[in-house]
Amino acid sequence: MTPALYWKYLIRESRGSRGRLLFFVLCLAVGVAAVVAVASLSDSLDGAIRQEARKLLSADLEVESRRPLPPELEAMLAPIEGLQRVQVHEMPTVVALPGDGDRARASQLVELKVVDGPYPFYGELELEPDRPLGELLQEGAVVGPDLLQRLGVEVGDILTVGTHRLPIVAVVHDEPDRLSFAFTLGPRVFLDATAFAASGLEAFGSRIERRLLLRLPESISEAEIEPLAERLREALPTSGFYRVETYADAQPALRRSLNRIERYLGLVALVSLLAGGIGVAQTVRAWIEGRLDSIAILKCLGLTGPQVISVYLGQTALLGLVGSLFGALAGLAVPLIVPSLLGDLLPAEAIQLWQPAAVLRGMILGTGVALLFSLPPLLSVRRIPPVRVLRRGAAPLPADRRTLLAITLALGLGITLVATAQSRDLILGFGFAAGLGLVAGLLSLAAYGLAQAAAAIPRERVRRFWLRHGLAALGRPGAGTIGAVVALGLGITVVLAMALVEQHLSGELNAELPEQAPNAFLVDIQPDQWDGVRQLLESQQASSIDSDPVVMARLTHLDGRTVQEITEERAQQEGRGNWALTKEQRLTYAEQLPADNVIIEGALWDRPELDEISLEADFAESLGVGLGSTMTLDVQGVPLELTVSSLRTVDWESFGLNFFMVVEPQALEAAPQFRVAAARLPQGGEQELQNALAASFPNVTVIQLREILEKVSAVLQRLGLGVRFLGTFTVLAGLAILAGAIAASTSRRGREVALVKTLGLTRGGVLAAFAVEYALTGLLAGLIGTVAGGTLAWAVLTFALEIPWEFSPAPFLIALATGALLAAGAGCAASLRALTQRPVAVLRAEG
Amino acid sequence: MTQELPAAPSKVPSGAPSATAPRLETRGLTRRLPSGGRQLTILEAVDLSVAPGEFLAILGPSGSGKSTLLALLAGLDRPSEGEVLLDGVAIQNLSEDELARLRRRKLGFVFQSFQLLGNLTALENVLLPLELAQIPNPVEQARKLLEEVGLGERGHHYPTQLSGGEQQRVAVARAYACRPPVLLADEPTGNLDSVTGELILELLERLRQRHGTTLVLVTHDPAVASRADRQIYFRDGRIEREEITRAAPAGAGLEAETARPEREAS
Repeated sequence: MTPALYWKYLIRESRGSRGRLLFFVLCLAVGVAAVVAVASLSDSLDGAIRQEARKLLSADLEVESRRPLPPELEAMLAPIEGLQRVQVHEMPTVVALPGDGDRARASQLVELKVVDGPYPFYGELELEPDRPLGELLQEGAVVGPDLLQRLGVEVGDILTVGTHRLPIVAVVHDEPDRLSFAFTLGPRVFLDATAFAASGLEAFGSRIERRLLLRLPESISEAEIEPLAERLREALPTSGFYRVETYADAQPALRRSLNRIERYLGLVALVSLLAGGIGVAQTVRAWIEGRLDSIAILKCLGLTGPQVISVYLGQTALLGLVGSLFGALAGLAVPLIVPSLLGDLLPAEAIQLWQPAAVLRGMILGTGVALLFSLPPLLSVRRIPPVRVLRRGAAPLPADRRTLLAITLALGLGITLVATAQSRDLILGFGFAAGLGLVAGLLSLAAYGLAQAAAAIPRERVRRFWLRHGLAALGRPGAGTIGAVVALGLGITVVLAMALVEQHLSGELNAELPEQAPNAFLVDIQPDQWDGVRQLLESQQASSIDSDPVVMARLTHLDGRTVQEITEERAQQEGRGNWALTKEQRLTYAEQLPADNVIIEGALWDRPELDEISLEADFAESLGVGLGSTMTLDVQGVPLELTVSSLRTVDWESFGLNFFMVVEPQALEAAPQFRVAAARLPQGGEQELQNALAASFPNVTVIQLREILEKVSAVLQRLGLGVRFLGTFTVLAGLAILAGAIAASTSRRGREVALVKTLGLTRGGVLAAFAVEYALTGLLAGLIGTVAGGTLAWAVLTFALEIPWEFSPAPFLIALATGALLAAGAGCAASLRALTQRPVAVLRAEG
Repeated sequence: MTQELPAAPSKVPSGAPSATAPRLETRGLTRRLPSGGRQLTILEAVDLSVAPGEFLAILGPSGSGKSTLLALLAGLDRPSEGEVLLDGVAIQNLSEDELARLRRRKLGFVFQSFQLLGNLTALENVLLPLELAQIPNPVEQARKLLEEVGLGERGHHYPTQLSGGEQQRVAVARAYACRPPVLLADEPTGNLDSVTGELILELLERLRQRHGTTLVLVTHDPAVASRADRQIYFRDGRIEREEITRAAPAGAGLEAETARPEREAS
């Protein structure tokens, strides 16, 4: 065949089946829309989430240290064009209200924050009055509302900071990067560099936490941030004293949720595409079934099998392109309606409407899937006997084993490729394709069994005509039961898996909402004050009260080598320092670990002859120690040698009191210590507690976490909403495609309906017979599909998302019922057209 | 005028030019079909020879195996035993695709139920075999063919927009489009009223004579069969008897590939 003739025939062949082909286009369009929508949404969502993470650091990159920043850093930063920077100094200090003469009226420990430049880069300060921070700071100090309360002053009053006096000009209610409560010991006081210099506090250099916040120019992409941070780490000398953080490091808890969601999004897109593919396969099957006579005539006229197949493949490719194009355009439109659903997580301006990469990806994947999934039904073209022109009931030609093998291979390879493209993981893609193949094989076997069983049932004994007819339809030769069961079963598998994964992921995101988490921390409680403080907390209706002793210490030796040695060696070898080694460590001692700690190696206090320590696993790794290592700590001048006897994981998201280092009580009980406490206060109870504490225990500082918790929980909630939205969309799209696929495969039944009507069967009877046939098909597909779907969901949750699997029967029962109802409903709906027509019309048209 | 002969293997009828090799030949052609667990013999050891340019009618009651024979002659079906030779080539061993190509070059079909492609117009139906055989100026040729069957103005109509007789005329035009040396017709008038049927037969005959085509026509209607050079009666899968209706034009096969001046059908 010449290309011109091929093309002509391609166009001609689509005539007369265009209605059906429309469904083909629709199926694929839904699948591709999901791919494109997810691709563009996940980009936008990812961007939005990164934005959120940036707010938590209020910068792209941060260099933190307790020493002035070295010139090397300057040399590295200077060449970056468009780089914005701001120097932030934080230190605890005491501010006072100037009284008469030298005596201060009152004083308060505060966390001073000195800002020298355009702060913050990301996120917003909540100021009252609402004016730029820089402007306000030129006039005086900006303080937290808790300071006003504690000192009993108002905006306009004069404050002494160090040796400098300045007026309070504004109140700061919220700052974006105040999540690291560990460093926040009291109310906030903002100063600018001039006022700070005037205060003379710079002299206490070692107590100053220096943070250089960097905002990178647009020209530096996301992917370049981490390498840049790495270069900075390498460039910093004696880097143990510096810490370089990117915004991505800022919130590990959020980051984990984000990684999960990204993987989930990939799965959503893959599954929608496969659902579309199943729809395509069913449409092509129905299409071929409607063209049997034509194909037989074509073969009579001299068209070879491969020529016929190539014509239909060409059709499929064309339709695939059209469907993918529509789908891609629809997919691009989806993000338009998302802002209203996702609220401020995805502000409208964050959405990029025209995403050529996503469209191209959708078009390629969509057309590829269309071609792949049309292969199995097209295989039957080869088997259409040309003698059909003379004898309608002619037996199909024998199957060509080589073609069958080639198509099976192509399908397996294709699905592996598509799955790999979507998951970006070859093994995952291969596993997915293999699993799907296994399920399809099981479904074929079961369907074959069902057809055999239906044929074997002694139907004479079945009284009800419709039941008998339904069984007969399932069991008759060439009923197409297998194709229908495989398509429906695979559909149920992926849709159920989708729903289960969504449910677990949403549940997990909700569980991470720190609802019962403590919202206040109390620090600097002297050991003998704890009973009093506890009683006070209880009288304030605080719940989840927890307290631990804290001993401050510094690491001196690891496995017999000095920390100095180790730091220098690592700086040379790895080009980066080790903050964990040099910082001041907070230790606690305890007989038992908190409930959210899990020992993963070793055992707690199992060696009576040694002083033991239990380390958080990641922390141990960053120290470079393991089970059996020795550590020497300098506890305020007294050396203490400890042996690592257990490693454990900690659920940091619980926001409870937790420590990297927990020491056996006997070793540390006698050391100088204070206590920290955590408690959940009733809404609005913070101030009362503050006042009561100030009266009885003035040295105890309360750190309020409510705002932080609210921020984190808001982000998690929005993420959960996004997941639910996408999951629901996929499940609904999958169901729509499945219903359509069943309908497509039933349209050929019109003639049958007409026949039984001429024999006197009522329309109700016909419907009942169809319902029995399709419900049985659906039930069988549902049984296997639910088991396979459950397995798929379990595998995805366990291996890809690392979320514990919990079984609940409801989704399975719903899936089973939905499968049967969907099949019966769609089957009946599809036969309605034939039912409403006069039988003679159908018979004449088909004759 | 008619002369009865017993069925005899490889017996060349007197009307056929014995000097020419047969266009179509079957040797011991047998077809069995599985039916309810048993083998049902549809056609049993049929030996038949058709000369180039001959018009052969195959008669017989329903179920006598005549349509099966036609399917086997066309390579649409495969024999259980025996051979089918088309221009001396045994076609039963060819693959499906080789058979398809063979049909494209050598065989034309006319069916009882017309078997036009419903999604193609009349013109496109006639065009298809021309295009498949890559004959130059196919559209012009197809138009001419449609004019010849008296449907020059109806080329743009779809089959459903044509009457039965008109559809069959399109089918005849399509069957002759590539000037196939052999034309196989299965009850071509079976679905038509007698007047229309007569018209179709005249058309078939006229085109056959013009193109020198070998025509094998299956029918159960003796009136239709009486137009043929030779009639073969089938019963229970065997040739029951054979009748020479009239002498075939001598040497018809020699001019099979060349168009002849139009001549009135007798």
